[in-house]
Amino acid sequence: MAQDAVRAEGRERLREGAVYDARLARRLIRYVRPHQRWIWISFALLIAASASGLALPYLQGRAIDDYVAGGETHGLVRLLVVFVVLAVFEFVMKGLQTYTLDRAGQDALVDLRLGVFAHLQRLSSRYYDRTPTGRLIGRVTTDVEALAELFSQGVVTILGDFVMLAGTVAILLWMDWQLALASFAVVPVLMYVTMKVRFKVRAAYTTMISRRSRLYSFLHEQVQGMPLVQLFAREQESADGFGQINSELRDAQVESVWWESVLSAVTELIESLTKALLLWAGGLVIAAALLPDGSLSPGGLTIGALFTFYGMLERFFRPLVDLSQKYTVMQNAMTAADRIFALLDTDDSVPEPRDPVRVDGCRGALAFEDVVFGYDPDNPVLKGVSFRVEPGERVAVVGATGSGKSTLLRLLSRLYDVQQGRVTVDGVDVRDYALSDLRGRIGVVTQDVFLFEGDVLENLRLGGAIDESRALAAASALGLDKIVARFPAGYREPVRERGRNLSAGEAQLVSFARVLARSPAVLALDEATSNVDTGTEELLQGAVHTLTQGRTALIIAHRLSTIRDVDRILVLHKGELVESGTHEELLARGGVYEHLYRMQYREQEG
Amino acid sequence: MWREYAPLWPFLRRYFGSTALGALCILLSVGLKVWIPLLIGDALEAFEQWNPAEGRDALVDGALQSALLIAGTALVVALVRTASRVLILGNSRRVAADVREHVFDHLLRLAPSFFLRNPAGQVMSRVINDLRVVQSLVGPVILYIAENLALFAFCLVVMLRSDPLVTVLALAPYPFAFFQARRLALRIQLGSAAAQNALGDLSTKVDESLSGQQVIKTMALEESDMAQFEARARHYRDLNLDVTKQRAKLVPLMLGLTSLSTLIVLGLGGLRVANGQTGLGPWTAMLMYLGILAGPTRTLGFVISTLRRGAASLQRLFEITASEVEIVGPPAERRVDFTPGELVVSSLSVVHPPISEQPHLEGSMPVGLDPELADRERAVLRDVSFRLAPGETLGVVGHTGSGKTTLARVLARQWPVARGVVSIGGTDINDVAPSDWRRRVGFVPQEAFLFSRTLAANVALGRPEALREEVEHAVRISQLANDLDQLPEGLDTVVGERGVNLSGGQRQRAALARVFLLDRELVILDDTLSAVDTHTADRILEALEEFLAGKTTVIVSHRLSAVKHADEIIVLEEGAVAERGTHLELLARGGIYAELWEKQERHEAECDELGIEITSKET
Repeated sequence: MAQDAVRAEGRERLREGAVYDARLARRLIRYVRPHQRWIWISFALLIAASASGLALPYLQGRAIDDYVAGGETHGLVRLLVVFVVLAVFEFVMKGLQTYTLDRAGQDALVDLRLGVFAHLQRLSSRYYDRTPTGRLIGRVTTDVEALAELFSQGVVTILGDFVMLAGTVAILLWMDWQLALASFAVVPVLMYVTMKVRFKVRAAYTTMISRRSRLYSFLHEQVQGMPLVQLFAREQESADGFGQINSELRDAQVESVWWESVLSAVTELIESLTKALLLWAGGLVIAAALLPDGSLSPGGLTIGALFTFYGMLERFFRPLVDLSQKYTVMQNAMTAADRIFALLDTDDSVPEPRDPVRVDGCRGALAFEDVVFGYDPDNPVLKGVSFRVEPGERVAVVGATGSGKSTLLRLLSRLYDVQQGRVTVDGVDVRDYALSDLRGRIGVVTQDVFLFEGDVLENLRLGGAIDESRALAAASALGLDKIVARFPAGYREPVRERGRNLSAGEAQLVSFARVLARSPAVLALDEATSNVDTGTEELLQGAVHTLTQGRTALIIAHRLSTIRDVDRILVLHKGELVESGTHEELLARGGVYEHLYRMQYREQEG
Repeated sequence: MWREYAPLWPFLRRYFGSTALGALCILLSVGLKVWIPLLIGDALEAFEQWNPAEGRDALVDGALQSALLIAGTALVVALVRTASRVLILGNSRRVAADVREHVFDHLLRLAPSFFLRNPAGQVMSRVINDLRVVQSLVGPVILYIAENLALFAFCLVVMLRSDPLVTVLALAPYPFAFFQARRLALRIQLGSAAAQNALGDLSTKVDESLSGQQVIKTMALEESDMAQFEARARHYRDLNLDVTKQRAKLVPLMLGLTSLSTLIVLGLGGLRVANGQTGLGPWTAMLMYLGILAGPTRTLGFVISTLRRGAASLQRLFEITASEVEIVGPPAERRVDFTPGELVVSSLSVVHPPISEQPHLEGSMPVGLDPELADRERAVLRDVSFRLAPGETLGVVGHTGSGKTTLARVLARQWPVARGVVSIGGTDINDVAPSDWRRRVGFVPQEAFLFSRTLAANVALGRPEALREEVEHAVRISQLANDLDQLPEGLDTVVGERGVNLSGGQRQRAALARVFLLDRELVILDDTLSAVDTHTADRILEALEEFLAGKTTVIVSHRLSAVKHADEIIVLEEGAVAERGTHLELLARGGIYAELWEKQERHEAECDELGIEITSKET
């Protein structure tokens, strides 16, 4: 059913047809423009190559008529020299052209990839909540690859084909306009057929790409979860799932092959038909030159001329055949471009303020004012939460899983925007800061840690954004240096993809040190639940203490030690703030917090 | 050189019949296509020999006849050509799909260590991008080769018949050009392999960044993230351009070849015609045949480069299937199904080979690795021994990196082990088929991965036919039941990548629930409660007791309270057993365990998660 929808959408798009493709092409050109120097060079080379290429059959015809048929060999040698010079010129130009063209294309693709990646970085968390990663990976890699073909075989070559076509048409007309017109008669037929097939090809490609996308996301998940698949003996189920998606993809590909084949055969058929037509017309023309006295009128069609004409006709059809073949490449590329631009058009990024507030320092005052928010807007996680954190104050938030604690940090750093109310830093709505300003000002440490592939030091320095000395100072302030000393390569210990070779605690400390090195005015910390061994646990506790010294801190707390260390505690319960105060105050008040504390005590006794 | 394509053979063979038919169609179409210039040549000769005295009609009728013959032939050619393409190109898609399935089936059998060593992006890029290259190797290249070999053969025969001397001379430059092309082709292959690797690396990077996008955003890491991506994208571009340079050299080589041949025919042949040694007709026909050969010769450059790029990608693809399935069962005739009994581990040592010697897929090796470091091997487990009677529980504790997880993996058969080291009921672990082993052993790994399906389907992963009540029961044991009302659709909420994101603790509890649906004799829990707060963990442990009653159990944990009741506890220190005994014995001994226990006791009093108490108050 989903495929029907895709097909219907494809048909819808096709109806807009050529206009739509022109728009896609214009957008693609935008990426090529900065590299147009290469395009023009390539184009010039192509014209030069084509011109000399066109002269070659002409020379052959001359050789036949002027020299060989007449038995004159002296002039033949001279003509051959010209032939050699032109031929060498042609192929050197073609070689250079191949390179310059790909150069322009590859440069444009880098820009396009960077553009897509930058856009992916801007897309909001909401977008990622609904879109499987596997699909997006395909967009940046495989889909962009399809455009590489367009650039290396398309654009300029297509332009070149047209130029060549125009040149050939002119020469053919000049040689014999009657024969030429007879040969061109087939062109409208060719165009009609191409147009007809085009729709089929495009629809087939659209289906194919969307199925490939499904394969991508299925594969992605399976590869990631493979150990589990094996553990629970789900291999058969996975193989079946893959087989299903795989054969659907295959069927779509086979269908597109069908249309490609038809298109290419039809073009060649028309070529041969034209030659047949020409032969007949040639006969007529020669016959028409028959004078009543039984001799031929001078200046009539010669065999040499007819031969040259055939040669030119080859050159007339070659670009046409090429074009029909490139047509499918182009359709493939356009389908890919369509999907890439659809992604680029997804305006689901966190909106940047038009006129961002410029602030120099940061005092570090935070406030949540009547904040209402839900990942699903009808199912709010926060139901009107208000609190303030004064500069330099350290505040802990406690509450059950799902009470909305972590959401507070996501709103503060604008991963999501509030539905009602507002969040402010230094009295200014977070939505009025430039995103980079906001996020640079608040040091957020999430439960999940993100480490880059590289080594420990590179990770601390964020690829060079932070001085080495600062990074190392931060690391030793948190006790990371002691852990690093245990690594065989010390700070140069390699970090694999997403830090999977470091333990959770080690990774967390790296992430802490990274934040400390930047020394932000506000620290927002989502304490990881206790998933480390006791030794590391102590290190982490000390690290948190160091981190919070002298700065405003909002901590989603999971540890009593943290809670005792802060100035004030907020108790979040089912999306509402139920209590607030110091540990002692809350205990004395005899409310929820006190009840908990007592319960825990009793349970420990029992 | 053809040996590189051998792995494709079994896949091609399946479509041998229809491919052969396709090839036959090609031969037919080529034969007919070659015939057309012959017809034209004849007609032209007729024009020339036409004596005006014969009258106009003779000429015009002759021309019309030839034209009709040509048109008819062309029509047949078109039909046959369409058939040949549909057959051969269609088969290339089928072969590609089969190869994809084959690779995937192999992935299903590879040990977890493969997935640990090789990033998902690299693996995916091979299955998708490299396969695309292979597909164009199978389809278009076979098509071109069949078509052009036939064409060359036909043209050669006809040309030889019209003037053997000139033909031989005209084709003389071909071998020389092939020799040159071969050299370029090898460079194309190497370059292409490097480029495909870079593409895999690029996919890995995108995968990494997208998976971590929330963290990247909140921690404002976009710039360094972008810098890493850009470096890879540019590197990929450079490698592609290197390949293009070689390809660009092939173009003039092939064009030069055709021009040289034409030149020879034009010059030498022309002279012979002028001297009356050859007729004008055969000579022009020969020029025309050369014209026909010009196209295929030019595309030969493309074929050569696609062949080599295909070889590179083929190798990358079959590198996956060549990856050893480290956990192999015994041959079918020696397959034993173990009888439950004592689990005996004697002198288990696991040494990680140096990184440089680990079987990485090309390109998945970490770059810029200190060579000294790469050559160092690391002992993970040293001489670990224990016996575990049926129904008893073993606790394994120790610091991060002490080898606990490796021990669990060995027992779960995720890690290969030599004979005579691990046995159960007297049967060596290597004599049991891995699938049989997994059917009888329940393992809950540390990382809780959820698939994009409903929570219920995730829990019922090992037994999709489980009843709803059973799933609900499992969720209750793992203390996930209380969290269900926070999920929009309870157990039917879609979780995983495409669904609601659960917290680390919730994910772990969901993963744990899976094992409760399975009836296993040996249960191995690898720090399954690490992301669950102490309080909930204790309640899970309580509930677990009932489930684990009568089952042989290995509990790996950094939290000592989880193993307190175990019949034996071993304390691992740098891979070796440092202490062993019951909880009380170990406490009395006053060693590492006792010290850890004291620390954790003190700690636990402080570390309890408060939030959970709010939940427990409500329930």
